[in-house]
Amino acid sequence: MEVLASGTGSYRMPDPDGHREWVRTHKSRELKSKVMSAREAVERFVGDGDYLGYDLCMVRRGPVALYREIIRQRKRNLWLAVRFSLLDPALFIAGECVEGIDIGWFSPGTTSRAIEQGKIKYSEWSNSAMVYRQLAGAMGLPFLPLRYLGGSDVFQRSGTKLVRDPYTSKEICIIPALNLDVALVHVYQCDEYGNARVFGPGLSPMETASCARKLIISTEEIVSNEEIRRQPHLTTIPYYMVDAVVHAPFGSYPGSMPGLYGIDTDAIAETAVADRAGTLGEYLEKWVYGFESDEEMLDKLVGAKKLIALQRKETIKEGYQA
Amino acid sequence: MSGISFTQAEYIICAVANLIEHDKSYWVAIGGQPLMSVMLARRLHAPDVCFVVEDGTVSPQPTTASALIPPDAAGAPYYRAIAWKDMNTMSFNCAMGYYDYGVLDCLEVDMYGNINSSFLGGDWEHPQRRFGGAGGANEIASMCWRTIILAEQEKRRYRKRVQFITSPGYLDGSPEARERAGLPVGTGPYRVVSDMATFGFDEETKRMKLLALTPWATLDEVLQEMDFEPLIAEPLEQAPPPTEEQLTILRSEIDPSGRSIGRGKWFEYDPGK
Repeated sequence: MEVLASGTGSYRMPDPDGHREWVRTHKSRELKSKVMSAREAVERFVGDGDYLGYDLCMVRRGPVALYREIIRQRKRNLWLAVRFSLLDPALFIAGECVEGIDIGWFSPGTTSRAIEQGKIKYSEWSNSAMVYRQLAGAMGLPFLPLRYLGGSDVFQRSGTKLVRDPYTSKEICIIPALNLDVALVHVYQCDEYGNARVFGPGLSPMETASCARKLIISTEEIVSNEEIRRQPHLTTIPYYMVDAVVHAPFGSYPGSMPGLYGIDTDAIAETAVADRAGTLGEYLEKWVYGFESDEEMLDKLVGAKKLIALQRKETIKEGYQA
Repeated sequence: MSGISFTQAEYIICAVANLIEHDKSYWVAIGGQPLMSVMLARRLHAPDVCFVVEDGTVSPQPTTASALIPPDAAGAPYYRAIAWKDMNTMSFNCAMGYYDYGVLDCLEVDMYGNINSSFLGGDWEHPQRRFGGAGGANEIASMCWRTIILAEQEKRRYRKRVQFITSPGYLDGSPEARERAGLPVGTGPYRVVSDMATFGFDEETKRMKLLALTPWATLDEVLQEMDFEPLIAEPLEQAPPPTEEQLTILRSEIDPSGRSIGRGKWFEYDPGK
């Protein structure tokens, strides 16, 4: 295949056979319980230097309880797949967890300043390009062709290549597969083995989950395997991809879980103000470092009264129940 | 008849809403003015118009326009959708040609309709002001048949060349520049809507072309707010002002908080004068 142009951005070299070997040796096919605490899951499955991805973002079905545990454990030198994000990368940057990011989109603030001040590395992509790279990884392929990115400066600052299609002889872009080291996906329901259900507009739960070497599921509710088998069409992620199941009610707090609870508007505003003001360090002291666990934070800092109010605020239920 | 007054943002939303056709499909940036334009058109002349956002929501009947941070039920922006798919599916459908129009805003737009939403000042390695990046705009501008761009009329926003092409317009304007970059045939920017004027693009040269002026702006005033000289249509059309009905719906139903529509300076328009 003739390469006509190449972007100069950095990217992890695709390694489908390396990923297969990892799956062969590390991913259990045994139907066994993987339920554990957030602390244990992050200790065992998130390493310094890992490339980390998450599904959705802090305001909606984001795995925010797992973010807080990673920050609490002071993981270092992470790479982040920052697509369809708001304050998500800012929290990790403020926690000094980040070496670099692949940019789809983030909300300007702390993340912007880290770039302006040369504190983190970065490459340019787009939201769809990042989930498409994960799809390639989830298909066991080294790359996939696509009809966008071409001609732009995003192309120049990414790992995209323009090639001549060997079938039609026309120009087409290709992008490298992305296999995450660790993926975080917050779900509505999951059994103890990791069979997980996601409701609502999807973004990319399946691609994010299945392209990763290590997958931590946090779930609002743990259901029985019998329940999963009663409605198998609702299973989004099968258990054999899952390494840890963390029972995390309100795991997306202060963001929302559509159908279950709304966002905590005040707490999101507090995060956004701290992001803009550059005071996320103090914010993390208050919301993360001061507690042993997320359960303790929800209990002492938020309280049952507030959490029930967030549930009551979520009046639209259609489509979010089994 | 007495006059009406409205903000820059309100005018742009109304002008884009007027472009929405009931039998076309729209891939819309997930929040702000682009989404509000489609919601306004839905409320008036195009109730069943097909629109999608990048998280995979197809033709919802949202109760508010704040797609990212809803004030009430978190499910409100996705309520009564036709389908809940995912981001890759939206891109695949767009690549196949199902989405007629993309609707985007930007930091900068240039004479060939290239848009920047990545940074301002400095260079890519050392930006003075870094912004969020491409988001879904690159795929929208690349693969929708036509792109509608929202950009307030400011000299710093209408650039001869944008500092960084986050999302492609007609690139350098040369024949088949987009096709040579691997983009789908027959796609590209269609309209640029500002608070003073509406622009299109010349079919031959791919250069931005002034099509219409608002009643409150002169040709000179528009040209003063541009870093390049656009082509100018003969004759220039007059863009209609917002209607009272549009403004009422925007203010009472679509953005009652005023957070988005309250932006920018105010215009006063009195048709009797």
